[in-house]
Amino acid sequence: MSLRTAPAAPPPQAPVGEPPAPGRPARYRLARWDLKYSPYLYIAPFFLLFGAFGAYPLVYTAWVSLHDWNLIGSSSFVGLDNYRALMVDADFWNAVVNTMGIFVIATVPQMVLALALANLLNRGMRARTLFRMGVLVPNVTSVAAVGIVFGQLFGRDFGLVNYLLGLFGVDRVDWQANTWSSWIAIATMVDWRWTGYNALIFLAAMQAIPRDLYESAAIDGASRGRQFWSITIPMLRPTIIFAVIISTIGGLQLFTEPLLFGNGRILGGSLRQFQTVAMYMYENAFQRFNYGYGSAVAWTLFMLIALMCAVNYLLVRRSAR
Amino acid sequence: MHVPSRRLRNSAVVALTAVMALGLAAGCSKKNDAPAGDGQLKLVVDTFGEFGYKALAKEYESAHPNIKVQLRSIEKLDDYKPKLTQYLAAGSGAGDVVALEEGILTEFKTQPQNFVDLNQFGGGDLAKDYLPWKFEQGKASNGQLIGLPTDVGGLGVCYRRDLFEKAKLPTDRAEVSKLWTTWDDFIATGQRFNAGGSGAAFLDSTTTAFNAMLAQFGDTNFYDRNNNLIADSNPSVRKAWDYTMSMIDKGISAKVTTWSNEWQAGFKNASFAVTFCPSWMRGIIKTNAGDASTGKWDIADVPGGGGNWGGSFLAVPKQSRHAKEAYELAKFLTSAHGQIGAFNESGPLPSNLGALDDATFKATTDPYFNNAPVGVIYGAGAKALKPVYRGPKHQAVLDRAFQPAIQSVEQGKAKADEAWKNALDAAKKEAK
Amino acid sequence: MLSASRRLWQASPLTYVALVLAVAMSVFPIYWMFVVATRTNDTINNVPPSLLPGGELTTNAGRVLANDHAAFLYGLVNSVVVSVAVTVSVVFFSSLAGFAFAKLRFRGRGPLLMVIVGTMMVPVQLGIIPLYMLMVKLGWNGQLQAVIVPFLVTGFGVFMMRQYASQAVADELIEAARVDGCSTFRVFWNVVMPALRPAAAVLGLLTFMQTWNEFLWPFAVLDPDTPTVQLSLSLLATAYYTDYSQVFAATAMATLPLLAVFVLFGRQIIGGIMEGAVKA
Repeated sequence: MSLRTAPAAPPPQAPVGEPPAPGRPARYRLARWDLKYSPYLYIAPFFLLFGAFGAYPLVYTAWVSLHDWNLIGSSSFVGLDNYRALMVDADFWNAVVNTMGIFVIATVPQMVLALALANLLNRGMRARTLFRMGVLVPNVTSVAAVGIVFGQLFGRDFGLVNYLLGLFGVDRVDWQANTWSSWIAIATMVDWRWTGYNALIFLAAMQAIPRDLYESAAIDGASRGRQFWSITIPMLRPTIIFAVIISTIGGLQLFTEPLLFGNGRILGGSLRQFQTVAMYMYENAFQRFNYGYGSAVAWTLFMLIALMCAVNYLLVRRSAR
Repeated sequence: MHVPSRRLRNSAVVALTAVMALGLAAGCSKKNDAPAGDGQLKLVVDTFGEFGYKALAKEYESAHPNIKVQLRSIEKLDDYKPKLTQYLAAGSGAGDVVALEEGILTEFKTQPQNFVDLNQFGGGDLAKDYLPWKFEQGKASNGQLIGLPTDVGGLGVCYRRDLFEKAKLPTDRAEVSKLWTTWDDFIATGQRFNAGGSGAAFLDSTTTAFNAMLAQFGDTNFYDRNNNLIADSNPSVRKAWDYTMSMIDKGISAKVTTWSNEWQAGFKNASFAVTFCPSWMRGIIKTNAGDASTGKWDIADVPGGGGNWGGSFLAVPKQSRHAKEAYELAKFLTSAHGQIGAFNESGPLPSNLGALDDATFKATTDPYFNNAPVGVIYGAGAKALKPVYRGPKHQAVLDRAFQPAIQSVEQGKAKADEAWKNALDAAKKEAK
Repeated sequence: MLSASRRLWQASPLTYVALVLAVAMSVFPIYWMFVVATRTNDTINNVPPSLLPGGELTTNAGRVLANDHAAFLYGLVNSVVVSVAVTVSVVFFSSLAGFAFAKLRFRGRGPLLMVIVGTMMVPVQLGIIPLYMLMVKLGWNGQLQAVIVPFLVTGFGVFMMRQYASQAVADELIEAARVDGCSTFRVFWNVVMPALRPAAAVLGLLTFMQTWNEFLWPFAVLDPDTPTVQLSLSLLATAYYTDYSQVFAATAMATLPLLAVFVLFGRQIIGGIMEGAVKA
């Protein structure tokens, strides 16, 4: 990293500390105290703030989920009742299936495309930075903007996508109305925003692979494709695992894209065909004001994310071996 | 909330220090949050959509120099209701005057303690000024007067004359009204229209027809008067449902979801000929269809004779610190004068008898709708309206159970029986 | 041999073609956003679609600003306030903690750092229900503090600054300052912070963009009359009447500041992301 401007940092000043004054025990004690305890002071803001606004609410979610808890603030302990209800709640399982479905059809192509893109970017070329910026630029646009723009592109009657399909003789698709088409539209938004970002992550990892590995492979007569499969992919394994896990954490919390795709309606389509778990959580907590049930949804999603991360970890580790 | 208080204080202290350290004034940019001047009192009015109060607020301010009126508006009822619910539960945040739509009114009426009893300011004496059933709706079961009536949603049918002509149907509004005295006629006309070869669809969507029929087929819908959910057994709901399914079956709908982008574009592109329109919908049609369609629309009577879609009340939450002044403002806004002003600005149909009988109101015509005498059409309809009892979660059951179910049939994603079952399941959930 | 390997790593014309295509796909929706933003609303529904910009940008932007329901200007101002506050705080606290982890010795340093790395994996968004209840308790719902205070620190920031500090700041410098009698905070402020500036700038850029684009939490806790810019956008886009040229003009205006930052500092942002990837 090289940067000449640093807007956030104050102008440097020459150290103006007084000269040390040996033989003054009070001062010495202060310096010792400073050395010993100030580190805790410096890291304390993080732990206090994260504790109060990150960890505590998350843990407290579990507690709320064991209650019948409503808007007025009255709550009664109901044990696992919310979870029991959740297990037989068809709308919840529908949301789980939608979330997983969208996640899979978003993540698999995204990872493949990102790898391919990284491989392309990993060459000597002109306008290197320009190309990298070009593929990263979707990541700069907000999720809300993506939802709005793609919502229009995937419009039934006047969307550009249907127009293009029409040129190839494909009938207009009512993207919102069908389960599969709404999933594809939403997955497209996710992929558009994140493929370039992941490509750069993969590119960074590719550049860390020693070149002589490829050179010796080339001497042994290995083709480019063969080199990619037997050197690049294995060497990238930790990075791929990392990227998949990050995508899992983000993808299973999908909220904004389907919300705006469906005109801001929390139901996600007439048959809830694209309502995600995060939307269902929001619906219960912030529209029905059933905090207990909403928390049960949140906590279940949390466990689902943990589970999926573990599964993905195992899968990717195995398949990349 | 059971937050361990030490913890709360800790985090609050840390947070506050942090905020102050960053030199942030609290709530620095709230829209319209201009403080009232010296000795001035600010009244906040919370509404959704377009109530047509802008000119009236100015007028009220100039008549009462010590009062400043701030209008806050959330566009969608869907977004407005949860916010209002939160404000009321939290005990702060709500306006001094808040609008309650009839679909959500009953739910708020079940917690009358959140609102000022307007009887204490003499609101009860105003009863004779309004459509009697409408005024009654504003009372809670304990007799408390929750809100003063604003508008009623008397229905008409807006139709495109040019498309009717192409389909070889009459275009004159009296003749068109005669085409569909009953709902069966309406469906038959739709089929005639389809056969007429205009290239457009007949009706925009069937969900609005469902709303209209619900208002006609009985004096209760999803709930009985004891607030029990009877959506599964109430014949009026089933009848409205069956007609709706028949409309879908006969293919007279353009199958666009009301308020969707396709729906909006449909107005511009003349892709359907008919939509059910309460008086306030005229403004929306004008915006959607654009100036190019001036004079191409007209308004006829609704099949089955009358029907109500929407309509609101103004209430004063207990948390208001200026309840008396808020009441006076609400009284002004719902007076004959206020309702005519709102009608002229955005089109909500008066419920105040003085407004309905007013000569200038009656003489109102709308050039966009081929100079239809909207004052007479809607005004006469308003007086013929029959009240329908809406249960606590009426709006939720309608919006989140029945409408999606109808749409799923329109989209060909579910069979009628399946959708009916889905609707009932969802209704039970919403009513919980 | 050398020439063979160099040829191997040079981009072929085909590579360029593929990359240009990829960039085109990346840029097109943004381009489309600007096209629609510069046209009248009725041309949106043209068949075939019009792919070139029109001349209505200022009209559309004017209509956005005049829209009562969206409070777009307030949203813009609020977003600036929120993003700047969060960015300054994240950079400061992350640098401070990163410095402590990289250069100071204290008991529990290793495990505490692991905790911080762990927090990067925690989907804190799932705690929004109690967080919301907490905000109500504090009377902060609907207030800007609600979208600032919970985000004043990030585990990512601390970790990133720690990584940078451990390699970019020489121990000798710190020792020298200490011998001069500087307190640890002096050392941090006068010696370490200047050395951390490149990383701090990148962290600042990334934090700013992320905060600017935040949606779910502001959506839950703020009111439509105190929106962030993203909330204004969703209010416009999901209104009863969606005027696309107006919505897209707003979207373009909300995206423009970030695009400007990206164009100016793209190289640094890319560097930051890629360095982060190698170290993580």
